Amino acid sequence: MEKTLQVLTELEHDGLLVRYAIGGAMGATFYVEPVLTFDLDVFVILPQTAGGLLTLAPIYDALRARGYTEEGECVNIEGVPVQFLPAHNALLEEALAEARETSYGATATRVLRAEHLAAIAVQTGRDKDRERVRLLLGHAPLDGEYLRAVLARHNLEARWKEWTS
Amino acid sequence: MEGMDKLKPEIARLIAAKEQRRCKLAALSFPEKVRIVVQLQRMVAPVLRARGRPVRVWRLAEFTTDEHG
Repeated sequence: MEKTLQVLTELEHDGLLVRYAIGGAMGATFYVEPVLTFDLDVFVILPQTAGGLLTLAPIYDALRARGYTEEGECVNIEGVPVQFLPAHNALLEEALAEARETSYGATATRVLRAEHLAAIAVQTGRDKDRERVRLLLGHAPLDGEYLRAVLARHNLEARWKEWTS
Repeated sequence: MEGMDKLKPEIARLIAAKEQRRCKLAALSFPEKVRIVVQLQRMVAPVLRARGRPVRVWRLAEFTTDEHG
């Protein structure tokens, strides 16, 4: 995993992505008890292209050139299937901008804030996202005021109330 | 009813112990948690594969070869 994160950092240094942060189940695992997952969800802000298109192709090309292979929707980087998820809305852009700086071993990395993981789960709205909200509410150090502001900014208060009442 | 009354403290103790374990797991370092996730993957992968879902257990350099099994 540390080598995987080093590769992600190199992609960032090379300008193939503007910023990355861990999200999904592994992001939640950072805050709560370990959650079973088989892939590493990595949210990314992509560089602007001339036509304004969001494309992962340059990242995939660079990884292929380094010998990493695609597996379905993921790229296997140093033994970890990584799924790149472009920030395609305001909530994800905000989550990436405010992601928490941390380290894994000697490698610097970023993890989305617990409040953003909860808000993203509410926005995504699947059964497993509902379970994630329950887990984060139970054990993550959530800043209530910050979370309320995020939910309000992104019009997620109604579903939050429905899920947590 | 008397039986239920005796059972309740025992159930409460079990629930409290489970909660305590969750807190303990949540407090582990990120690498320790990743190690547990990989252990979970090893346990669940055969079941998922038998159901036709192709999953891959992570092979991490920070773990020894023996741990990958």
